[in-house]
Amino acid sequence: MFIQLLFASSATLTVGCALGVLATKNLMHSCIFLLGSLMGVAGLFATLGADFVAVTQIMVYMGGVVILMLFAVMLTGGKDFISRAQNLLGLPSSMGNKWTYSVGGLVGLVLLLTNIRLISNVMNSHAPKVIGDEYPSTVSQIGHLLVKDHVLAFEISSVLLLGALVGAAIIARPRKQK
Amino acid sequence: MNQTVVSYLSQYEFYDTLLALFKNNQGALAFTIYLLLSLAIVGMCATIGGLGTYAERKISADLQARIGPNRVGPYGLLQMLADGVKMMTKEDIMPFTADKMLFYLAPLLCLTGVFATLAVLPFSGGFIMADLNVGIFYLVAISSLVGVGVFLGGYASNSKWSMLGGMRGASQIISYEIPVTISILAITLLSGGMSFGTIVGHQGGLPHEWFIFHNPFSFLAFFVYGVGALAETNRAPFDLPEAESELVSGYHTEYTGMRFGFFALAEYIEVFVVCGVAASLFLGGYQVPGISLDILPIQAVQFVIFMTKTLLLYYVVIWIRWTFPRLRVDQLMAVCWKYLTPIAIFNLVGCAIWTVAFNGKSIAELIFGGGH
Repeated sequence: MFIQLLFASSATLTVGCALGVLATKNLMHSCIFLLGSLMGVAGLFATLGADFVAVTQIMVYMGGVVILMLFAVMLTGGKDFISRAQNLLGLPSSMGNKWTYSVGGLVGLVLLLTNIRLISNVMNSHAPKVIGDEYPSTVSQIGHLLVKDHVLAFEISSVLLLGALVGAAIIARPRKQK
Repeated sequence: MNQTVVSYLSQYEFYDTLLALFKNNQGALAFTIYLLLSLAIVGMCATIGGLGTYAERKISADLQARIGPNRVGPYGLLQMLADGVKMMTKEDIMPFTADKMLFYLAPLLCLTGVFATLAVLPFSGGFIMADLNVGIFYLVAISSLVGVGVFLGGYASNSKWSMLGGMRGASQIISYEIPVTISILAITLLSGGMSFGTIVGHQGGLPHEWFIFHNPFSFLAFFVYGVGALAETNRAPFDLPEAESELVSGYHTEYTGMRFGFFALAEYIEVFVVCGVAASLFLGGYQVPGISLDILPIQAVQFVIFMTKTLLLYYVVIWIRWTFPRLRVDQLMAVCWKYLTPIAIFNLVGCAIWTVAFNGKSIAELIFGGGH
């Protein structure tokens, strides 16, 4: 009962706010709707029993990405962009033309079919996967997997993040006065 | 596993009696218990937030050799009720050029972020709404909603004071999250778990068993956490987002009535939450010295101990506010990035090395030989 309620509210939040992102013309409002949508996705993770992933979703997207977007939108002018919006071909319509719609629709269809194929075996059994007896919680299981089986991916992504940090520091450092 | 207050209560006999009252409907009973306890905790913390404003004025008056509020009720204790009534009856002003949706949303986001953290705050061994496996991580994550609220409050008011305050607030909150989170990580390393039950369970009731005195690095981590937490809750000497001598009152300049009240309440409750986290991470939390029994009356003692530690830290926070002058913006960022973050990383590495080198033993255990 509780799981169904959680799923219904999370799914409504995700889809409703995603539609809100598309419907509103104000970039700030779009960001806030995106916040709601990402919160809904965190709720969906919680429905599946993936507590660590749900909290990471909140931490990374709501605490980091959305605030970054809000800053970027605000510093670059925010809603003043509405009147000057143009598509790639320089036409005044901000929403594209027949050509972009058809290409976009095709790409969307292919992505949808690929995704359905990928998750088809999960869809058949929708019950939350019970974690093994050897781990007390999902956190320790994820920790063990990260530093044992997937240590290479873990290290590569940490090097990537370090590169991003150093790059940001180099871009932001003060220039030498001549 | 995820412990909750319901799973704690279900080990007692009266739970079965209650279950019979609900015609053996587990879900309905659990929902009722959660509902009642949530209302109780939110009500209690709102009262603590309200009393926080009173304590703030009384203590500042003490420190400055004044009397402070003394007209409403005995010792002015009912001042917060008078303030509440005043706020509710004030006109709700919406600036003409404000962004209406975001203007309404901002105080609610602040309050939601703070109230959501109360779900994992360990008031006692059993009286914790949900002892999540990812407890402290959840708390850090969900309280970032406050930053969004502060920023939106500044943006939506469409006034220069608010804008500057909101920008300062958001940048300060996301900067100081880093040393605070790394300090918490050091404690997670020592206790081997992110749930509050595990963290508090690894400490004892007496000071030498607390994590603050576990090793030199965790001792430093406590102060890094304290400074960072002060900055994250926008308290003086880090109250730049609402610096009244520069920015009128920062991100909530344009807010009136209860909307302003929400911002103020969120701030005071957040200070309480931060003090509670410090008490349970570093100062032994609800642990009662010398008693390992687990019966219901002990829960009350644990609750009192937790509240005493938390409110003592709350006093220190107010004390600091009225003692130190405010920092400049560049000093603020320098303190975070040039001092606190390197120290926090040093503490994390130090704690890791200590755990490996001394097999997780604390200083007291090393000196007095294992037993305590």
